[in-house]
Amino acid sequence: MEWVAFLLFFAVIGMLLAGFPVAFSLGGTALLFATAGVFGGGFEVAFLSGLPSRIFGIMSNETLVAVPLFVFMGITLERAQIAEDLLDTLSALFGRLRGGLGIAVTLVGMLLAASTGIVGATVVTMGLLSLPTMLKRGYSPEIASGTICASGTLGQIIPPSIILVMLGDVMSSAYQQAQLQQGIFSPKTVSVGDLFAGALIPGLLLVLLYMLYLFIVAIVKPSAMPARPDDGEKVSFARLIAAIAPPMILIFAVLGSILKGLATPTEAAGVGAAGAMLLALQRRSLSFARLQDIMRGTLRISSMVFLILIGASVFSLVFRGYGGDDGVRTLLDNLPGGVFAAVLVVMLLMFVLGFVLDFIEITFVVVPIVAPVLLAMGLDPVWLGIMIAINLQTSFLTPPFGFALFYLRGVAPPSVSTAQIYRGVIPFVAIQLLMLVILTLFPRLVTWLPEQIYGG
Amino acid sequence: MSSRMIGVSQHLDAISIATGKATAWLTLLMVIVTFVIVVLRYVFGVGFIWLQESVIWMHACVFMLGAAYTLQQDEHVRVDVFYRGMNERRRAWVNIIGVAIFVFPLCGYLFVESLDYVSRSWSFKEISRDTGGLPYPAIPLLKSILLVMPLTVSLQGLSLMLQSISSLRRS
Repeated sequence: MEWVAFLLFFAVIGMLLAGFPVAFSLGGTALLFATAGVFGGGFEVAFLSGLPSRIFGIMSNETLVAVPLFVFMGITLERAQIAEDLLDTLSALFGRLRGGLGIAVTLVGMLLAASTGIVGATVVTMGLLSLPTMLKRGYSPEIASGTICASGTLGQIIPPSIILVMLGDVMSSAYQQAQLQQGIFSPKTVSVGDLFAGALIPGLLLVLLYMLYLFIVAIVKPSAMPARPDDGEKVSFARLIAAIAPPMILIFAVLGSILKGLATPTEAAGVGAAGAMLLALQRRSLSFARLQDIMRGTLRISSMVFLILIGASVFSLVFRGYGGDDGVRTLLDNLPGGVFAAVLVVMLLMFVLGFVLDFIEITFVVVPIVAPVLLAMGLDPVWLGIMIAINLQTSFLTPPFGFALFYLRGVAPPSVSTAQIYRGVIPFVAIQLLMLVILTLFPRLVTWLPEQIYGG
Repeated sequence: MSSRMIGVSQHLDAISIATGKATAWLTLLMVIVTFVIVVLRYVFGVGFIWLQESVIWMHACVFMLGAAYTLQQDEHVRVDVFYRGMNERRRAWVNIIGVAIFVFPLCGYLFVESLDYVSRSWSFKEISRDTGGLPYPAIPLLKSILLVMPLTVSLQGLSLMLQSISSLRRS
């Protein structure tokens, strides 16, 4: 009956496209399939009866408690208008160099990625703040929008990232499952901290490659990113420190304490959120109304994420009930070309799905199905996780469906055409693909740091 | 008739909004308690399991009890590749059918399936598996959220349905 499982998968995608909220479409479609199977044969109702305890498992999941805390921290920092200060200061500092403004925007994207990590919000904020400035200074619309989209999606990969917390949770159970299947009964574990450590070097490398590209454009085609005429504006050292220090200290404290093993991601996120509130207070940008705003925003995002997780659990129970797990294993195991082909197929599938589905859905629906099979082939869980993260980041940048492009289109002035945004982002998509190739050839770039920190 | 539907829908919305706003305070409490836990552990060298458990359970309350409010605010993410371009009538149909074939069956099934699961927890007087965890009624109380969530979400689903029907009638 595994063809029903595959039918279910495509039915879910079809249903999602209708536009009803993902959480309910996922679980609802699966439930319809289960009902049909109970009456028409082919599905044991027992597969679904574990649902309450499965949901209670989600409610008592310790790892995922970090998600709302990181969200709280991110929204607080976003409302504290740290981005504005950073952009102003860095662009004043670098603006007089050719291509300097582009570099400044990339750096701000990196810092925001590490501190807020909410992709949509970062692209929108940077689109609103820096796109008009870049255009006014004579930057080509292509370069400007490409830079903003690409650096705005860095939040997925640069730790501490909310996405990596979710991926870490899914990967750790997939890893256990894969090892149990191989008959290893004292399985090794993989944690959110491992993923954070693994993502650090690839994330920073991406930033470097972005800047290298901008640097080359500035030399080859100076008219695309002109320098600002010297208007005598000087950035004092004190102003630079005042803008950069608060987010930097917060990032180092949060990330450092996780990577040094001093605190769990949840604890670090809690301290980070408290720190963000203090920072907002000190900048006098935390009123009672804004606090309520932050709390409600955190609640809505958490509820959105975790209801998708619940919907995805219903889906995976039904998918398994129809033998879909075994079907996927048979399929991937029998590909000509072995592990490499299996990874390639999965990556391509996720890339295409990334056009219609968000990171959350792919993490909770697709990764639990394919990751145990891939890990049983002997792949490193941290490497696989980072590859998935960069792959999806690429997908979100790729025209015509990339999410980041939609976000930027939403805030870009009409003078910037959609075609210009698409053209501008293509070199960055190429950089992303190059990064995937680099990580395939040199997996140590991912696995080295976690081994140094946590021991092999 | 249509104005009556709108009236019912507004009452249901008000319930979801009030629950959501009240529950949202737990997010702040989570931040504070986590901060306190860290200070207690690293500064004073003491830890309380019930305090750590309380953060996990606050989180559970946040997303389970906030689900209806999130639906009311239309913040449960949609795949909007096509939805974005639809007119009001089309959207109304998507929402009516979605509530009818997804939200109601899903909530109904979860509610019925959880009845037994929750009542067993109450009758066994289930307690935390870790010594030093939260005291007795905590676990059964939390499991009871498995009944509250489908109830509140289907009420909000009903509200969405009524709103969509009356918007169809208007146009």
